[in-house]
Amino acid sequence: MDLAQGGPATALGVPSIDVAAVLPLLIVFTAGAVGVLLEAVLPRNQRWPAQVALSLTSVVGAGVALAVYVTGDFESTTTFRAEEASSGALAVDTPALFLWGTLLVLGLLALLLIADRSVEPGGAFVSKAALRGGAAGGTDTLTKEQTFTGMQTEVFPLTLFALGGMMTFCAANDLLTMFIALEVLSLPLYLMCGLARRRRLISQEAAVKYFLLGAFASAFFLYGLGLLYGYAGSVKLADIAVAAQGTDRSDTLLFAGLGLLAIGLLFKGSVGPFHTWTPDVYQGAPTPVTAFMAACTKVAAFGGLLRVLTVSFESTSWEWRSVLSVVAVVSMAIGAILGLTQRDVKRMIAYSSIAHAGFLVVGAMALTEDGLSATLFYLLAYGFTTLAAFGVVSLVRDSSGEATDLSAWAGLAKRSPLVAATFTVLLLALAGIPLTSGFVGKFAVFEAALSDGMAPLVVIALVASAIAAFYYLRVVVLMYFSEPAPDGPAVTVPGVFTTTAIAVGTIATLVLGIVPTFALDWASAGGFVF
Amino acid sequence: MIETSWLLIAFPAFGALVLLAGGRRTDAWGHWLGCATVIASFVYGLILFLSSDGSTQDTTVFSWIPVSDLQVEFGLRIDALSLAFVLLITGVGSLIHIYATGYMADDPGRRRFFGYFNLFVAAMLILVLGNGFVTLYLGWEGVGLASYLLIGWYQNKPAAATAAKKAFVMNRVGDVGLALAIFLMWSHIGSTQYSEVFAGIGQVDQNVVLAIGLLLLLGACGKSGQFPLQAWLPDAMEGPTPVSALIHAATMVTAGVYLVARSSPIYNANPDAQLAVALVGAFTLLLGAIIGCAYDDIKKVLAYSTVSQIGYMMLAVGLGPFGYALGIMHLLTHGFFKAGLFLGAGSVSHGMHGELDIRRMGGLWRKMPITFVTFGLGYLALIGFPFTAGYFSKDAIIAAAFGQEGWRGWVFGGAALLGAGITAFYMTRLVLMTFFGKARWQELKTADGKEYHPHESPPVMTVPMILLAVGSVGAGAFLALGDTLAEWLTPSVGALQESHGGVIGHSLVPFLVVGISAVGVLLAWLFVGRKDVPVERPQQVSAVVRAARADLYGNALNEALFARPGIWLSRALVFVDNRGVDGLVNGLAALLGGSSGRLRRLQTGFVRSYALTMLIGGFALVGALLMVRFG
Amino acid sequence: MTPTYYLLLSALLFTIGVVGVLVRRNAIVVFMCIELMLNAVNLTLVTFARINGELDGQVMAFFVMVVAAAEVVVGLAIIMAIFKSRRSASVDDTNLLKY
Repeated sequence: MDLAQGGPATALGVPSIDVAAVLPLLIVFTAGAVGVLLEAVLPRNQRWPAQVALSLTSVVGAGVALAVYVTGDFESTTTFRAEEASSGALAVDTPALFLWGTLLVLGLLALLLIADRSVEPGGAFVSKAALRGGAAGGTDTLTKEQTFTGMQTEVFPLTLFALGGMMTFCAANDLLTMFIALEVLSLPLYLMCGLARRRRLISQEAAVKYFLLGAFASAFFLYGLGLLYGYAGSVKLADIAVAAQGTDRSDTLLFAGLGLLAIGLLFKGSVGPFHTWTPDVYQGAPTPVTAFMAACTKVAAFGGLLRVLTVSFESTSWEWRSVLSVVAVVSMAIGAILGLTQRDVKRMIAYSSIAHAGFLVVGAMALTEDGLSATLFYLLAYGFTTLAAFGVVSLVRDSSGEATDLSAWAGLAKRSPLVAATFTVLLLALAGIPLTSGFVGKFAVFEAALSDGMAPLVVIALVASAIAAFYYLRVVVLMYFSEPAPDGPAVTVPGVFTTTAIAVGTIATLVLGIVPTFALDWASAGGFVF
Repeated sequence: MIETSWLLIAFPAFGALVLLAGGRRTDAWGHWLGCATVIASFVYGLILFLSSDGSTQDTTVFSWIPVSDLQVEFGLRIDALSLAFVLLITGVGSLIHIYATGYMADDPGRRRFFGYFNLFVAAMLILVLGNGFVTLYLGWEGVGLASYLLIGWYQNKPAAATAAKKAFVMNRVGDVGLALAIFLMWSHIGSTQYSEVFAGIGQVDQNVVLAIGLLLLLGACGKSGQFPLQAWLPDAMEGPTPVSALIHAATMVTAGVYLVARSSPIYNANPDAQLAVALVGAFTLLLGAIIGCAYDDIKKVLAYSTVSQIGYMMLAVGLGPFGYALGIMHLLTHGFFKAGLFLGAGSVSHGMHGELDIRRMGGLWRKMPITFVTFGLGYLALIGFPFTAGYFSKDAIIAAAFGQEGWRGWVFGGAALLGAGITAFYMTRLVLMTFFGKARWQELKTADGKEYHPHESPPVMTVPMILLAVGSVGAGAFLALGDTLAEWLTPSVGALQESHGGVIGHSLVPFLVVGISAVGVLLAWLFVGRKDVPVERPQQVSAVVRAARADLYGNALNEALFARPGIWLSRALVFVDNRGVDGLVNGLAALLGGSSGRLRRLQTGFVRSYALTMLIGGFALVGALLMVRFG
Repeated sequence: MTPTYYLLLSALLFTIGVVGVLVRRNAIVVFMCIELMLNAVNLTLVTFARINGELDGQVMAFFVMVVAAAEVVVGLAIIMAIFKSRRSASVDDTNLLKY
């Protein structure tokens, strides 16, 4: 990575690396690599416990390393240390630290969901992904090998690599690092989407779609990188910012480059009109993976978008703001309107995530300190909520696996009041009802946007939230005021892993809604450094 | 001493909290706690009273609503007026609490009843002790709540539930007036504390003062059952009798009089507002008295008597410095004798298996002698029999009314004098039909087919009645002779002025009053004492009686003026809502749903079409950026 | 020859890649078109490195190649898996998830 810093070819020196700052990153990547080795050397029946122990330990360890770094410095200075690590390829500044913390916590919860074997015997992942499924995508019969209760433990190192890629992405200080991090986070995700034990065909379809479209989008990102390199003579974010204030190169390069770059970033954040993969992939992927993607990928994508816009393109904000406003409106409209007629819970939450991406773009465009902290808080809050929501989705099952069709959720409150109540809290948070984190997040983002002169956009955003609230509340009504179907799905009693993940997500949703101040303080501790 | 005066409120508030939050485990001793807290407040109030010289002392308990310009403090004002009320509320309140332990003995919800009762006392004390209008408003709403809960005590009785609702709604009308008056004070004077409002009222535009005065009067009318908001008070008798005695006779309904007396600087600053108060009082005292003649329900008669007597008080405080002290004096004496009368009525009904119809009674004086004597003493006090409490307090008001100049003297004095005559008539009718004559109940059965066995009530009920009867007889002389009360109240409402002149001289009034009362008594004896009273209500009656039985069409008037237009308005709004608003909303929803159904077809499931969407989006994005830059 | 022509050439290659993604049905060919897009960018990078007279762009091209190679590994694995299930590599057949 350090090679990217440029300079004469003859002067390749030893890069200076602030190990303490990037230790969380190193821990996660090392654990991923060790996980691959474990997969090779351990007998099959020992892999699951070893991989679970390794991945959970490494994520917790990375969190501890992060906490030590943050608190150790916190005593000496009032803000977090904001010096560049790894010879300028990574910027470990306050937003990056906040995003790392967010990613590690959400990643830990997602790992718990992935590791769970109590909901589905053997877990949600099949041991041989290439096995031929049965007939139609929905209800393929399980072959002997599929019913084997062993689990595809490769998913753990893949998750760790993806998590590490996301963390790198948030902190990347030049576009090449960002591109590589983008691939490091994406490639494992493509694979993970296709690992479902049941409904193999739609799982593989999701993987193919995600892969092809993801590669397509990253090609655009790369072309944008190339044009910006041509414009600024460097891919470092700070150099682009300097060049944007005046250079002899054509501004065509700058704006075409920004546009192409934005395609890749907006694609990852599932912002409309680059959202098309989202519903299909969210629906087709194994639910724990969907939870991981929905929560963590969004954090990483918007972390990167925030950094690029704030650091490199602040001086040209007048030009791109109106364009991005339209993008935000399109995304909110698509998410709110198309969500209305969805029949599948996972698909519905996917459209909800598109609408939320629109709100996040609104926050990201407000290049003020308030806008930054509001967006960071929104990411944290939304991550917890959506992760827990997908956790709940994985519990409602019938004979063919998860019952994601909305009709199966009718009258759920009568049979499992606790699950229904939890899901209601999460839906209310997604709708942005007060006393949930969703309200605080929306409020902070819209307030920041208002004070930065984007009142029309805020009005549209409020209308979109009102429309979207309809489909969240429809599920609540369905759960509480409908008679359950006689042969409806049963709610599986979750094991300790899933229970923990859902409980933490729900409690965080409520805590961030009732006493959000501490998290807002963390989020607003400092800005990007470049 | 003054710093700890909040304890007065804290005792009953604590009682209410324990009883209402404690649940069933306080059932066994709850009623005694309820009594103890009120007695404690009484004792404490007595100590405060004895150590006070009546001067005004304000104390701030805490800063309540500190919002930039709006600084409302929760403070208490200890002065002559509030101490007089504290003693009335806690003194009479203690007696009625004790009485209620006997009256409610068979009610399974007795503990909850005492919780509400304590809540009422606490709220009423906040009302009279507050040193600002917002604090007063807190207590005002608090007593309204307690009153609502207690009127609807027999909640499975539809009449009680309806009466509670009616009381609540009509009180809201008055409360809006009070709230608007407070808003006006805030916007024109910049404060809602008594001291600053009264100091600043002189600089305010006369029209605003008039508006404040009339709005306060509206609030007073709502709470005190004055015309045009009088209709809820008789219906409120659906509550248990101790409630009627304490809340709807002795204390809460006099809050309107308190409000006007407390706001005396405002009314003194605007004679028109003052005149309005007096007119409302004079009209209501006649209205209540006339309707009181037509009822056969012992509590309803007493309720209209209350309406009428509060009319006297309003008339008095509407006379300004000539009447504030007299109004308060009548309020205090009325508190004694009307509470005693209600407790007597409760005792009668207790002995008669819940019967309230006086046509089904008669000759009860043999069966319940203590009740008869105490009720009789209260009766004498109410009609103003010489040297009882009412004689002093009511005659003074009538004399002050006649002391006004010109038409006011004739109108106010005439109404008050006529009212005294009618009062004598209906009260005599009530006593005769209840305690004298043929024992009509002997041939009748109760509603569930049992025979009546009238009996005297237990001592826990009769002792408070005896004490109140003593007060009924003695309070007037104690307060009036030597102008004791008037001098005591001078720091709060100003010195009592005596008019010199007027249309009829002071010395003549007592003879007129006694004379017209005697006529009333005689007429009543001619109507119901001399001959047998039919058990069934006669239907062939004159137009006057019919009108009186229909509450002088007060409810009909309310319905025609307010309820009907309100119903029409809400129907019109419902129409607009159904056709217009709902149509718009449903149309919008249909539009969104329809567009959603069509737009989701774009999500074809084909990777290549997704890629095309992305490409088009990308073209638009890059193109727009370049256009914004170069276009 | 001015370097601008190389930029135009790379833009042309990139466009050919994009059009290929849109019109070809076979998943492997689609994927190859994406690889073409990446390599078109490589040409851009190298050209700009030449214009700027430095090595950065050329080094970046190597990074891109490595990433592209990794992408091939993952992509072919996924395409093989779905080919095994469906006996078809047409992207138009993977059409269960829609609306």
